[in-house]
Amino acid sequence: MRYVAQRILFSILSLCVLLFITFLLSHVVSGDPAIVAAGPNAGADKIAAVRQEMGLDRPLLVQFWIYCSNIMHGDLGTSWFTRQPIASDIIRELPPSLELVFVAMLINLAISLPLGLLTARYAGSRFDDIVRLLVMAGAGLPIFWLAIILQQIVAGQWRLLPTAGRLGFQNRDFTGATGFTLFDSLMQGRFDVFADALAHLVLPAFALTLLFTAVGVRITRTSMIGEFRKDYVVLARAKGASEGRIMVRHVFANGATPALTVFGMQFGWMLGATVLVEEIFGRPGIGRYAVKAVTQSDIHAVVAVVFVVGLVFLFSNLIVDIALYLLSPRKHAGA
Amino acid sequence: MASLAPTNADDRPLLEIRDVSVALRNGNRTMVAGVSLSVRPREVFGIVGESGSGKTLLTRTLLGLQDDAYVAGGSVRFNGQSLPIDGYGTQARKLLGHSIGFVPQDPFASLNPSMRIGKQITEAIYLAKGWPMGAERTRDAAISLMAEVGIPEPALAFNQFPDQFSGGMRQRMVFAIALAQDPKLLVADEPTTALDAITQRRVIELILDRSRKHDLAVILISHNLELLRQSVGRIAVLYGGQLLNIVASSDIGHRMVHPYTEALFDCIPTREKTLADIRSIPGEPVGAGFGLRGCAFASRCPYVVTACTTADLPRNSAMAPSFSACILGRGAS
Amino acid sequence: MIKRWWSFPKTNVERTAIVLGCLILLLALVGAFLVPFDPMKIDFRAKLQAPSLVHWLGTDGSGRDVLSRLLYGAQLTLASTFAVIIVVVTIGCTIGIASAFIGGAVDNMLMRLADIWLGFPPLILALGFASALGASLEAAIWALIFSWWPNYARLSRMVTSDILSQKFIASADALGVPTHRKVLHYVIPNAMDVMLIQIALDISAVMLAISGLSFIGVGAQIPAPEWGAMIADGRSYVSNGWWIVLAPGLAIFITAVSFNVIGDMLRRELDPTSRRR
Repeated sequence: MRYVAQRILFSILSLCVLLFITFLLSHVVSGDPAIVAAGPNAGADKIAAVRQEMGLDRPLLVQFWIYCSNIMHGDLGTSWFTRQPIASDIIRELPPSLELVFVAMLINLAISLPLGLLTARYAGSRFDDIVRLLVMAGAGLPIFWLAIILQQIVAGQWRLLPTAGRLGFQNRDFTGATGFTLFDSLMQGRFDVFADALAHLVLPAFALTLLFTAVGVRITRTSMIGEFRKDYVVLARAKGASEGRIMVRHVFANGATPALTVFGMQFGWMLGATVLVEEIFGRPGIGRYAVKAVTQSDIHAVVAVVFVVGLVFLFSNLIVDIALYLLSPRKHAGA
Repeated sequence: MASLAPTNADDRPLLEIRDVSVALRNGNRTMVAGVSLSVRPREVFGIVGESGSGKTLLTRTLLGLQDDAYVAGGSVRFNGQSLPIDGYGTQARKLLGHSIGFVPQDPFASLNPSMRIGKQITEAIYLAKGWPMGAERTRDAAISLMAEVGIPEPALAFNQFPDQFSGGMRQRMVFAIALAQDPKLLVADEPTTALDAITQRRVIELILDRSRKHDLAVILISHNLELLRQSVGRIAVLYGGQLLNIVASSDIGHRMVHPYTEALFDCIPTREKTLADIRSIPGEPVGAGFGLRGCAFASRCPYVVTACTTADLPRNSAMAPSFSACILGRGAS
Repeated sequence: MIKRWWSFPKTNVERTAIVLGCLILLLALVGAFLVPFDPMKIDFRAKLQAPSLVHWLGTDGSGRDVLSRLLYGAQLTLASTFAVIIVVVTIGCTIGIASAFIGGAVDNMLMRLADIWLGFPPLILALGFASALGASLEAAIWALIFSWWPNYARLSRMVTSDILSQKFIASADALGVPTHRKVLHYVIPNAMDVMLIQIALDISAVMLAISGLSFIGVGAQIPAPEWGAMIADGRSYVSNGWWIVLAPGLAIFITAVSFNVIGDMLRRELDPTSRRR
């Protein structure tokens, strides 16, 4: 349990750094936050009032403390373009984004793990060379460009999948308790809505994940390749185990930890990259919310998204690391 | 320890390899050339050679465990069934699960570190026989195997991980895995090199004793001629990827053997020898991949004549129980 | 330092990547003098023309020649990329090398900070920074510097402490070699290979990030011929002018892949720890 405690402590430390960064962005880099908060059309007296109200005439350290305590109370400020508390905006926009990232991550794992294992097993073969080339090509694809091209060809030309949105017109009134359409539709037994939501997710999720998948294949290969050279693989072969069994039961269990840690980090990175995809596919979500806030110069909303994405990133890392620790049976034995 | 004379073994050979060559996939380089030997049921057979002589490469390739090498020529029969040279690896692997047990060199690396010991043994039982007796009895079988190879408190060890055991204990577990397959032949590749001297002796005795009880033939591979001389009936001597000698271990030191075997024996300190009798072999050892033209040992041999480097190396194509590849006839029976 | 560099490429893919990489750099340098048309001149009579002998890559929604914009954009995109990399390498290495020399608690704290900083999603961090500064290409460049520096701080700190722990440094210490000479004569020459690999691999990542920021609207602003901004601009015409989006996207893709391949090759040839076969 010592490990878990250390890991949580590290997350708290990271949270402090995150708060520091977002404070830097909203209070220092942006110039005068009072002007920002008052909105672009405010007069001098309004700005002065806001400055007083926000405590901006006090020292930076005090301001940082106020900033932190506001956030701890769930107050991320007010967006002046939606005229809503940013926190409630984000609570509304987060589920569709998490849903998108979740599907993207499933696609990512479904491609990365088998390809990574196979290229590690057959390292140096023609197959390995071809996959390496594909990986380098994938790592050079601009996500937003890929999204546009996929949308035009697969949805526009071939009409295989819907072009944009979260649900089709016939399901526009569907609502659920959690905001996760895939989950809600299953709970209500609306399989037609589930299929519809999934169809709307495929293209954006694929566009979002391809760059991360390229990295994922590479990471998986690197963490598995050393395992195949170990003698326990020879012994497993001597038992008569098939190559598939060796990969899944023996090598994967031993080499998975570093790869899965990276996938945990990719979850947060993908959430950040939704800014490149959601707008193109006309999906609601914090990515599109952030882009809108940017075009409206609503710094506080943008910085709030930065904070929330960072928070999700910290959480997903923490969960993955602790899960890996708990699932690794050797640690329990008390070595 | 037992010294089985070649004559009292069974008549039909269990493993018969004739003129087998092994080449590396990368560059098609022939590493082991024209090896012929046979092992009878219940025979304890040794293969000796310095590191790089090709002994590990030969056996691993024959067992289908070496990815970067293949059987380039010759024929292999196991238990009366001949194995195809094309697609040899997959066929050999099929046999391994239930007819050949394998004990690799380093017990610290050869057990899966994240799988419980018991699971690794039951997996071997399952892969060799399926689940004919159900999970519960498979577990009991595994525990009794662990008891048989001398693991204290086997029921407890069943649920433990390899890193909680010493090298000697781990090698016993690897041996239990090999026995779990209920094989006819056990191949042990330097099984005790990584262990200290006393544990070494105990593990070898255990392997030979249990193998006799299970009616197994054993191929023991080692660089240590003295260890083999005390443990096995016949010894094949490999050098530079060539088979130079097959000799009854009781003959070594008493009758004329191949000059290389003689030189190896002269290096061993024993009680009968004075310090002056212990000699090292002059020159540097030749690695595997020497080929078939000339004798690989010629450059270091005290009896060398010109023909040694030009004539083709004699092969044991007749599958004689003892054999010397010396063209001068030294060590031929 | 880079001995036998001509023997580095081992496959045709790598040779192609080097040729393409050099060609793209050359075009970025001299492309502005080669452009057939004014990249900013609006001509609504000539708008949305498909690729032809006059306009090799067609014209965009305002009648501007896409090829001319692409060539101009090469300079803009690559110059911004290199600006980011040069500043990041300078700042990162200064922090990293200083941290390794100082050691102790300061070193520990700086590297912890870099570790945590490095983890956060770089794109969203840069997005926040750029919009806080006010959207412009310079803002995007500063934003990427802001989120990228820990990479080089960590790398240079690792290399430096490796070198400092070696025997020849002990003998240099015994001779009384001053710190700045140690940095100039031992650390920097030895760190060069590792840095070069990282830089080659980072070129494509930084370029993708810059064009992504421009696409969202916090980088280069729309009439500017930056490749990401060109794609954003072309989006509204994508159904009747596919070439406007396709051309800059392919330009980004080809440049990024070329530098990825070159970086991969450099790593194989220069990094002794990553020999694969």
